[in-house]
Amino acid sequence: MKQSADLLQGTLDLLVLKALSLGPLHGYGIIQRIRQLSEELLTVEQGSLYPALYRIEHRRWISSKWGTNETGRKAKFYSLTKAGRKQLAVEERSWDLLSVAIAKVRQAN
Amino acid sequence: MNRLYLLIARLRGLFRREKIIDDIHEEMRSHIDMLTETNIERGMAPDEARRVALINFGNLGEKRELAYEVRGGGMFETIWQDLRFGARMLLKHKGFTFVAVLSLALGIGANTALFSVVDAVLLKTLPVEAPEQLVVFAWYAGQPFRIGGMSGTSNVPKPPGTRGLSLFRYQVFEKMRDERAERPDSPLRDLFAFAPMSQLAASIGGHPEIVNGQVVTGNYFAGLGLQPILGRAIGEEDDKPGATPVVLLSHGFWQQRFGADPAVVGQTLKLNRQTFTIIGVTPTDFTGALQVDYRPQLTIPLACEPLLRENSNLGTAKRPGPWWLNVMGRLKPGETIEHARDSLNGTFQATALELMPPPRKEGDAAQLDPKDYPRLFVESGSRGMMDRRRNYSGTIFGLFTVVALVLLIACANVANLLLARAALRGSEITVRLAVGAGRRRLIRQLLTESVLLSALGGAVGVLFAFWGKGALATLADRNTGILPSEVDLNLNWRVLVFTLGVSLLTGVLFGLAPALRATRVDLATSLKQGRRASGTVSRLSKGLIVAQVALSLLLLVGAGLFIRTLYNLQHVNLGFDPENLLLFRLRPEQTGYKDNRLVQFYEQLFQRLDNLPGVSSATFARVSLLADDNSMTDILLPGEAENTAAEHGVNRQVSRENYFATMGIPLLRGREFTSKDDEHAPHVGIVNEFLAQKYFPGADVLGQRVRIDKREIEIVGVVADSKYMSQREEIKPLLYTPWHQELETIGAMYFALRMAGKGTGMEAAVRQAVRELDSSLPVTEVSTQAARAEATLGQERLSARLLSFFGGLALLLAAIGLSGVLAYSVAQRTNEVGIRMALGAQARDVLRLVIWQGMKLVLLGLAIGGACGYGLRRLLEGDYFSSRSWQREMASQLYGIEGTEPIILVVIALLLVVVALVACWLPARKAAKVDPLSALRYE
Repeated sequence: MKQSADLLQGTLDLLVLKALSLGPLHGYGIIQRIRQLSEELLTVEQGSLYPALYRIEHRRWISSKWGTNETGRKAKFYSLTKAGRKQLAVEERSWDLLSVAIAKVRQAN
Repeated sequence: MNRLYLLIARLRGLFRREKIIDDIHEEMRSHIDMLTETNIERGMAPDEARRVALINFGNLGEKRELAYEVRGGGMFETIWQDLRFGARMLLKHKGFTFVAVLSLALGIGANTALFSVVDAVLLKTLPVEAPEQLVVFAWYAGQPFRIGGMSGTSNVPKPPGTRGLSLFRYQVFEKMRDERAERPDSPLRDLFAFAPMSQLAASIGGHPEIVNGQVVTGNYFAGLGLQPILGRAIGEEDDKPGATPVVLLSHGFWQQRFGADPAVVGQTLKLNRQTFTIIGVTPTDFTGALQVDYRPQLTIPLACEPLLRENSNLGTAKRPGPWWLNVMGRLKPGETIEHARDSLNGTFQATALELMPPPRKEGDAAQLDPKDYPRLFVESGSRGMMDRRRNYSGTIFGLFTVVALVLLIACANVANLLLARAALRGSEITVRLAVGAGRRRLIRQLLTESVLLSALGGAVGVLFAFWGKGALATLADRNTGILPSEVDLNLNWRVLVFTLGVSLLTGVLFGLAPALRATRVDLATSLKQGRRASGTVSRLSKGLIVAQVALSLLLLVGAGLFIRTLYNLQHVNLGFDPENLLLFRLRPEQTGYKDNRLVQFYEQLFQRLDNLPGVSSATFARVSLLADDNSMTDILLPGEAENTAAEHGVNRQVSRENYFATMGIPLLRGREFTSKDDEHAPHVGIVNEFLAQKYFPGADVLGQRVRIDKREIEIVGVVADSKYMSQREEIKPLLYTPWHQELETIGAMYFALRMAGKGTGMEAAVRQAVRELDSSLPVTEVSTQAARAEATLGQERLSARLLSFFGGLALLLAAIGLSGVLAYSVAQRTNEVGIRMALGAQARDVLRLVIWQGMKLVLLGLAIGGACGYGLRRLLEGDYFSSRSWQREMASQLYGIEGTEPIILVVIALLLVVVALVACWLPARKAAKVDPLSALRYE
């Protein structure tokens, strides 16, 4: 089981990896997509994304490249790597296990 | 694997700092721009849009920092920052840095130098194939085991109450060798033997000289796994009686005497008049597996030994030779030392017992009790023969202790200076703590400074050690014997790693306390007080100074004792006149002289020597005086039967008729030898006063008869006592016999020429005289008696020098430390000084105040040092240390110092006080010059 700090970090990792699994995005775009996918339930403080993003990049689950966005502005785009795809599967699985475990605990009387 | 990527990323981050910062900045800016755009689309005004965007983003500065922390150099970067900062601080206080680095360099350098000795003597393995597979054989037996004869060096760690040697008889080795060869499952792949043959008379290209060599069995080189760099090695076919005598040169000898000529293979040289063919040259760094201070220049097969020795040590089946061979073996891979020992123990024991000589004294059992049977003892042979290494290890560790102490003093010094300086940096530190720098970070940074200092000290120390190799060479002087001579002292990687380790350790050691102390600051009060962050000089500081003074006292008193010892020994009454005596040695037996030819040779030589201009008298003797040389025999007094327990050991001397006159030894009673005392006349002897008193007290010794080696000798004269082996040895009984009656033992003699004047050019005249008689006979050990006497005192002189050097060093360091600490204390207390002066204190009073502050510590240090010294002496006198420990050995080196110790102590203490006064006076003077107005203003 993960510790609570790891849990928070892990959650953010999962969200970022999931967001990028649907296609490359820049930082701002990642935040948009997470909002989208969670139907506005989850908002990440804009600036806090970056330490997490760089950490994930260090672990080679995503890679980055400078490019231009729709409006022609220069931006850094991130995409999922093969290792990242594998990690996404791992994270999703452990999250499922976690929720099953918590559900069981909640049900106990 | 990921960790590795992380580390690499961090390292890269270190170098690409600017780029990363820009990258982050741009990315975040782009993000914020996009946020702003969205807000504008939603209908906000551009300014409002931007403002809201920034709020939504979060604190830009903080986010940037957090982001950089992930991507930046991390730990590496902080270390790099610390290093740069530390370097800047060191450059800022150049004076302090210089003193600190110098102190450390001296301490670390001395340790490095000594470690290189430890490495060369105790750690270095033989430069052969797989040295860890080599083993050395030795043995031990109960006391009743009779050895017979032995020849060579041996120092075996045997159980108490036993006797043992690392030497073997040839016959015993033979049997062991055959045993190993017969068993295909033997744990040993090879078993080989070797022994030194020193002082061979060589003739190379017609020039006579003395060389050191070794004899080896045919499988020596195969067993060691050594290939010569030129020609071929000695093999089994060379080690057979009757084979052509061959010889291998050592690399050094080949370079020196043959100029590294590649055509040397096939040339011949003569050893003791026998012709040997050169077949090869051994590799550069190979100097044999013998004792650490013996480097043979030649290697010859064992079978050639009888050609060079009158009485071969190989012996025969009927008359076995002495215990003289070193035996080593190579284990098969995976085999153990114990297995090797067990596989040969049976054969060894049986053969050794078989060859044991019959009992000499009545009542000794012919058979031995099985518990006293000789047993094999096997140890690692990766470093060759260990006997002399064991001898030296004691002294080396003693020296190491002294040197480590010096390093400690240097560290204490630097620590003190750092402590004092940290007090001055108080304000800077408190500000940094106040704005949020973690205490741990600050400590790490201060430690980095210390380690930087010690690393610099270490680097300079290595330089000192390198330059000091010359000084180390005097430590290894043949005469002093403190360290083995001819040892290769070089600064290899092991030594450098050691230096690095010591440097880092010292850096942390002396840096930790000051760093901890400096950061343990009470923020509120210190910010208010400004400069004066921590009041007075700390107790730790004071304690360190006291310790330094105490140590200096101990070292210098030690030096004083040795200097006094040296003086005593140089002025001891020798019993003969050592001035203007030229000495040299000849060994005609080596080149085949014996019996009548030998006598004739000597007589002819003396005809020439007696008539050399400038020579007032020429003589010779078998034993050279004050040269650590001796010869002993057992004599039987009148009425004592043979084979009794009564055995009186006396020193012996064989000399020419004019020996006493030439050497200046007065004749007390009776007569001297004359030419009438030849081989046909009755055997006579002359004794010294001591012998006469000891064995014939009250009676007249003249006319008495004693027996040696089944001969009867009549005592015809008594001479005054004189020193024999060394200046410090006490007088022992001495029996002189005339040379004509000792024809068996005069094959090598020491000549002494009493010269009328200074005797310049005498050596050349002597060599000429010898050359005229026999051009192939080398003249060796040419010296004067005075020089020889000085050389025997080499060890004492060295101890005196070393202790003086280190004591002086310790004193210098202590003085510097004291001065530095006081200087900083003064700088801190300028306010206080200013107030005092404003209130009427004179410069004189301030001077006294500061000086007394320092001298208090010095006096305390002297008291503690004195007490320790007294305690040390009691320890040495008692039996806490075993009699063979190096502590006891060092103490026993002192001579005739009883009663003078208190004087030496007082003199040294006074010296320290004077030096300390000067050290205190310098900063005190500065304090006295303080202008009260500016001091008070500078709050």
